Amino acid sequence: MRRSYLGEFEEVVLLTVAVLAEGAYGVAITDELDRQTGRTVSISAVHAALHRLEEKGMLKSHLGDATAERGGRRKRLFSVTVLGSRTLHDIRAVRQQLWDSISPQGLPVVSL
Amino acid sequence: MKNMPPRWADRLLEAFCAPHLLEEVQGDLYERFLRNGKLFGVAFARRQYAREVLGFLKRPFALKRQLNEYSSPSILNPVMLRNYLKTSFRNLTKNKVSALINLFGLSLGVTACLVIYLITNYELSYDTFHPDRERIYRLVGTEKFNPQADVRPAGFVPNAVPAAVRNEVTGLGTVAAFHNIESEVLIPEGSEKPRRFEHRDHGQDNAEIIVADPQYFDIFHYQWMAGDPKTAMTEPFQVVLSERKARKYFGELPLEQILGRSVIYWDSVQVKVSGIVKDWQKPSDFTFTDFISMATVRSSQLKKGIDLDQWDDIWSSSQAFVKLPEGTRPEQFDKAFLAFSKEHFRKDFKFVPGLQPLSDLHFNADYVDNYSRKAHLPTLYGMMGVAVFILLIAAINFINLATAQSVQRSKEVGVRKVLGSSRKSLVVQFLSETSLLTLIAVGLALVLVNPILTAFQSVTPRGLTFNLFSLKTLLFLLGVTVTTSLLAGFYPSLVLSSYLPALTLKGQSALKGGQKGYLRKGLIVFQFTVSLIFIIGTLIVERQLSYIRNKDLGFSTDAIIEVKSGRAGKTEVLLEKIGQLSGVERVTKQWFPPMGMSYMMTKMKYKGKKEIELDVSAKVGDANFIPLYNLRILAGRNYLKSDSLRELVINETFAKRLGFQKPADAVNKLLEFDGKTFPIVGVVADFHEQSFHSKIDPTFIGYLPRQARNIGVKLAVKGQQVNELKEALASIEAQWKTVHPDKKFEYDFLDDRIAQLYEKEQKTSRLVNTATGIAILISCMGLFGLATFTAEQRTKEISVRKVLGASVASIVALLSKDFLKLVLLALLLAAPVAWWAMSKWLKDFAYKVDIEWWIFALAGLLAVGIALLTISFQSIRAALTNPVKSLRSE
Repeated sequence: MRRSYLGEFEEVVLLTVAVLAEGAYGVAITDELDRQTGRTVSISAVHAALHRLEEKGMLKSHLGDATAERGGRRKRLFSVTVLGSRTLHDIRAVRQQLWDSISPQGLPVVSL
Repeated sequence: MKNMPPRWADRLLEAFCAPHLLEEVQGDLYERFLRNGKLFGVAFARRQYAREVLGFLKRPFALKRQLNEYSSPSILNPVMLRNYLKTSFRNLTKNKVSALINLFGLSLGVTACLVIYLITNYELSYDTFHPDRERIYRLVGTEKFNPQADVRPAGFVPNAVPAAVRNEVTGLGTVAAFHNIESEVLIPEGSEKPRRFEHRDHGQDNAEIIVADPQYFDIFHYQWMAGDPKTAMTEPFQVVLSERKARKYFGELPLEQILGRSVIYWDSVQVKVSGIVKDWQKPSDFTFTDFISMATVRSSQLKKGIDLDQWDDIWSSSQAFVKLPEGTRPEQFDKAFLAFSKEHFRKDFKFVPGLQPLSDLHFNADYVDNYSRKAHLPTLYGMMGVAVFILLIAAINFINLATAQSVQRSKEVGVRKVLGSSRKSLVVQFLSETSLLTLIAVGLALVLVNPILTAFQSVTPRGLTFNLFSLKTLLFLLGVTVTTSLLAGFYPSLVLSSYLPALTLKGQSALKGGQKGYLRKGLIVFQFTVSLIFIIGTLIVERQLSYIRNKDLGFSTDAIIEVKSGRAGKTEVLLEKIGQLSGVERVTKQWFPPMGMSYMMTKMKYKGKKEIELDVSAKVGDANFIPLYNLRILAGRNYLKSDSLRELVINETFAKRLGFQKPADAVNKLLEFDGKTFPIVGVVADFHEQSFHSKIDPTFIGYLPRQARNIGVKLAVKGQQVNELKEALASIEAQWKTVHPDKKFEYDFLDDRIAQLYEKEQKTSRLVNTATGIAILISCMGLFGLATFTAEQRTKEISVRKVLGASVASIVALLSKDFLKLVLLALLLAAPVAWWAMSKWLKDFAYKVDIEWWIFALAGLLAVGIALLTISFQSIRAALTNPVKSLRSE
């Protein structure tokens, strides 16, 4: 059972946080998203998604150290919670199950 | 700075972004700005930064303020409210002296306000409950008795006018006339002796009996309990009673059974009850309870008293009311009234009808009548002003004491601010202290108001009661509480909450703004100005009243009573019997005593070198009148005993007006009165015949047997021996009973009658006295509190001075000087205001005291004395303390 509904963008952000592991904060996540998916996302959208995910309990955060390039301001560093991890796994399982159920002729051939 | 993000965008973000998110968001944006700057140039980076800030502003999460464990709870949070209450209470108990001063002052102020509100509200609500009241007018007019006389307003009309106006002035709507009469009432009891009800005590009880047109009930709405409104007043010998009156006459009979019962007025006018109406519950001048049908007049003995066809005279009992049709204005009828007047008043006597709004009836003393009680509007407004000023003074006390104390509380404010209190919640805290105090004061006022109303019964209008649970009263109390709290608490709370914690906690008293206390000084000056105005007012009112009491009236008033035998009849018999009593020195048949509310003006002609016609006042009495009242004869002699008018005595003014230099010249001249000529046999010194508001008129004294039906009695009492007085009165009453076994013995002391003329002034005097007392009291309390604090603050200074050799006297002087300066300044401000106000008040008197400079000096001296007395206690105590005590510890 899916415990909580995740939007597509939220899912991607959550995965990105997992990818970045220790250094997941607003700018890094935005850049990583940019790099990995090739789409331009606004930083405010990322912040909104992070905020939402934290409210849903899939992310936790703490304030990191101050850095000079931020004008002495601290970063908020995010990491995936157990619930977040569980959700991601659920989603992946569902997808896998679906993929497995597709017959070889079910999808038109796409040449990469 | 070009390599920085746009400042406006940063500011915008700081203003809008939730504080707990600001750091990370701004950090992220800044980081990206730096990178963008390196990659694409500063201009792009700045544009991008702005775009991203705007991007955040449309995200709700970024704007939402989050409750976290450090944020202040809302000021309306129950926890905070409890805290406010608790700290307020602690503070009040900590500073007991100032709390008590404030509480006492505020209670006094609120009580005065409440009492005055009740009085003014009661007076202003008179006759405001009638449906269509804005269309109801009284038919009044202006009268002119002869071509030489002045045009005077009259609140009543010639008896024949209402009916004629109804027929001749078109579009006037409903017209109803009524005449109020005085009568004993007899209720026949079959074969037994009828039950009798005395007539009302004039000047004490409300008017009750009127003879009215049926239209009266169309103009004024009554609720009918029994009888048919359509037919109840149309026939002769009908009477409608109010429910209360019906119960008084007939007891607990069912109302339907009272219908048809007989009531007898004027001994012989027997009428039948045809209807019963409910009494009005609200304040009204229409206090009537017996409504006799107008048709009764022509068919009964009433016609002897009420001549419905009379055009050439006016009686104060003759009233008429009009209810205009909707959409008409009273001015529309001016022309018609003028034409009406031209048509009907062709001889000497002129009368022009006019309309007086119902709302004016209770206040306009120009239109007199004999039932309504007039309230004096300027007095009412004056009282409201007094109430406002007293409350203001009390509020000023609070402001002064609170700002004076503020130094002590600055530490508290600092600590509170460090612990995270916002300025708003500090303001709320200080305001809640004021509110708590005000609420207690209002509570005290509620307890006090009833005893005070009882104590001041002579000043308050009759029928005034205090009803807490009327919506208007509750709203008023709420309004007073809120305004007082804000007035008293707003400024101190702003000052206190503005302190900077860093400064106050370091130990510097960061007195902002009023460092030299200009505001506080200004407020004290204001307080004392108000008090001084009241003091000067009291002094002048008292002087005028004592002038009135002590000025020689020109006749003696000592131990003289007036027996009202006019209505009862048999004056001759009574006069003889009373005259023989041992406790009686002298008796006279008279109309009225020389001075009083009742007087008569008439015309007299003198044919000397040229003909002089004068409006003169008439005093009627037999040959004993002049000796009884001890009127001083300047020339000639008293008139001789006779049984009709033969000779006249005039007063000095009359002689002068006739052109005689010396009083003796007037003797033996002839005066024409009522078509006949009479010789002047004597001239008396001027005496006051009306209140001091009016000048002494030319007056004659003579014997008119038809009018001289009351008895003046000079009691043979030496000094003021109460027992002798009582004995004499009892013996007179015994004689009265032998002549009139079933009539009430009525008498008045002349002194009392004269005192009644100044009832309004007595009331003003009591009001001003009370206001002065309260104002002085509150101001002094404020001064006392302030002196306490100044002395406390300057302890160190005083100690140092003492160590360096200052004397106690010089220190007391030092401490008192500042306050005295303020009081003197207040005197300068108060003097012109008081002078202006009091000359306006004195303008009403024809005989008055002058406003002299020493009154102001005396008032100033009083104020200085009171202020000194107030502060001396504190300054002497401060001057006497051992300097070691205060200098020892630092």
